[in-house]
Amino acid sequence: MVVAAQHPNITLYTYTEVEEVNGYIGNFEVTLRKKARYVDMKKCTGCGLCETKCPTKVASEYDLGIGKRPCIYKPFPQAVPNKPVIDPVNCKKLIDGKCGVCAKVCPTGSVNYEDKDELVTEKVGAIVMATGFDLFDWTKTYGEYGYGQYPDVITGLHFERMLNASGPTGGKLKRPSDGKIPETVVFIKCVGSRDDTKGRSYCSRACCMYTAKHAMQVLEKIPNSQAYVFYMDVRTPGKMYEEFYQRALDQGAQYLRGRVSKIFPKGDKLVVRGEDTLVGRQVEVEADLVVLATAMIPSTGSDKMAQIVGFSTDKDGFYTEAHPKLRPVETNTGGVFLAGACQGPKDVPDTVSQASAAAVKVVGLLSKDQMATNPRISAINEAICSGCLHCKAVCPYKAIDAKTVSERAHGQVVERTVASVNTGLCQGCGACTVACRSGALNLKGFTNQQMLAEVDAACQ
Amino acid sequence: MKKVGVFLCHCGTNIAGVVDIPRLAEEVKKFPFVAHVEENKYCCSEPGQDAIIKAIKEQNLDRVVVASCSPRMHEGTFQKALQKAGLNPYMFEMANMREHCSWVHAKQPELATLKAMDLVRKAVAKVAKVEPLFEDYISITKKALVIGGGIAGIQTAIDIADAGHQVILVERESTIGGKMAMLDKTFPTLDCSA
Repeated sequence: MVVAAQHPNITLYTYTEVEEVNGYIGNFEVTLRKKARYVDMKKCTGCGLCETKCPTKVASEYDLGIGKRPCIYKPFPQAVPNKPVIDPVNCKKLIDGKCGVCAKVCPTGSVNYEDKDELVTEKVGAIVMATGFDLFDWTKTYGEYGYGQYPDVITGLHFERMLNASGPTGGKLKRPSDGKIPETVVFIKCVGSRDDTKGRSYCSRACCMYTAKHAMQVLEKIPNSQAYVFYMDVRTPGKMYEEFYQRALDQGAQYLRGRVSKIFPKGDKLVVRGEDTLVGRQVEVEADLVVLATAMIPSTGSDKMAQIVGFSTDKDGFYTEAHPKLRPVETNTGGVFLAGACQGPKDVPDTVSQASAAAVKVVGLLSKDQMATNPRISAINEAICSGCLHCKAVCPYKAIDAKTVSERAHGQVVERTVASVNTGLCQGCGACTVACRSGALNLKGFTNQQMLAEVDAACQ
Repeated sequence: MKKVGVFLCHCGTNIAGVVDIPRLAEEVKKFPFVAHVEENKYCCSEPGQDAIIKAIKEQNLDRVVVASCSPRMHEGTFQKALQKAGLNPYMFEMANMREHCSWVHAKQPELATLKAMDLVRKAVAKVAKVEPLFEDYISITKKALVIGGGIAGIQTAIDIADAGHQVILVERESTIGGKMAMLDKTFPTLDCSA
């Protein structure tokens, strides 16, 4: 993270959203909204004094609600850039003007409650989408696991936050309900994954391995602990993955093949009732903590980003690659590439590989001074264009605009509107040629005349 | 006078196992403007491409049809062969008799052969109408935008930046790191994530 922030060739815009993208491959114009941070990034030294003095504490999003954070905060200690931001929704000073403690204690005078969003325009030649994933919200559909009513049923990401040394429990695994160290931990895989009825049809790919890791961490960190894993299949298709899973088994993780049908409280424990299909009988485990391996889904707002940048998503909302085998990191929109889980669920090694692959594609493009465009794009015959602009309305690439031409008629110069095709933006989809009522638009290489010749031949 | 060369690909047994290629070749010879018909086990192979180039030069062909697989697979391959032979790469048409014919009609070889004739006739009719097309050149802004500052975005940005290009890395949260930075350790090496 620090490498990226300090790299002389990288300009980092955090707390910034992409507002608008115009242009085409090699020549995009991007509008970015730098959200108001209320902290002057140049003056702030990141000392953290403001964070300790802020009187208002709210649930930390970064810790998934397990811990609390002040309203001027860094999400975690190694944050990059290592400077805080004010949460405008909860900050008392920004809500009703009553507080202002952070500005008073700040030794450098960096806090600025008058800060406003700022729009920045940048010109770029290529765009890489790396918007990542979110986790499937199991609490809405999995009634058998308690719809989120039992505090000791958590997700794998909650588990990670607790085990993280800079997390809300300082690296200790604790039950959210009473803070006790859990001895019996049950893991349930495929929650929302491979489940057509309640979740998504696909496999989320990373869960088998992180659940094996979690089971090992329980066994290593907590004396006399037991780890049970309910699974449908164990999928370990990667280098050293199967060996890693075997290590979890060797360390004593109990793998039970079957689904969990019900979780219910019994005293301060949770009874996990499921099936062991390998021995063909029902099993019950009295657990202190239940960890769900929830499905990866496209990150919130990723559909809107696809619309802003201008490319398609698949049935699950992941970004569509141009070809699943031959062009896996490109989209069908020229100059727009894909990296990581925005394209589909994947683990860290695969994400890093794909990110480097996308980088190579970008470098390949940027290493040229000029690039050849596909000549099979729309061409307009201005003489017969009526200027109705139906083509403009149907063009998915915003490649058609109106233009005014002047021509001589009956000894006079008259002006009229015709459609005009931007050859950089046009991707040659042909939608406009179908919409054109006067036949003025033709897709070069697929002209009306050529298509009709094919139809005639096919009908012979 | 237009001179069309038609190249019929066996694709091993993918096409030839279903479509009666010698019979197809006899039929194709009767199509208008067809000056040359040739079969090849794999048109996309080096000898296959060389055969196309040789025929273009020797027979003075001015347009080419390859009846093989999907243009999504090999259109670029054959266009390059045309270019090598000195033809405009857009004086070319493909008839997809694998995905659109032999694969889907594997159990009806007779009908598949008739359909292959239709597909090739269609492609020949179109190629007779094509005109040379020429590429346009556009300039390139040598800067990249990476949207998302998780592990994927960070890795991409660093790799592009290391290659000497300017990168803008945009993250909607106040810190980069994404989900990766939330994790404790990551398998299989169990090293820390932040």
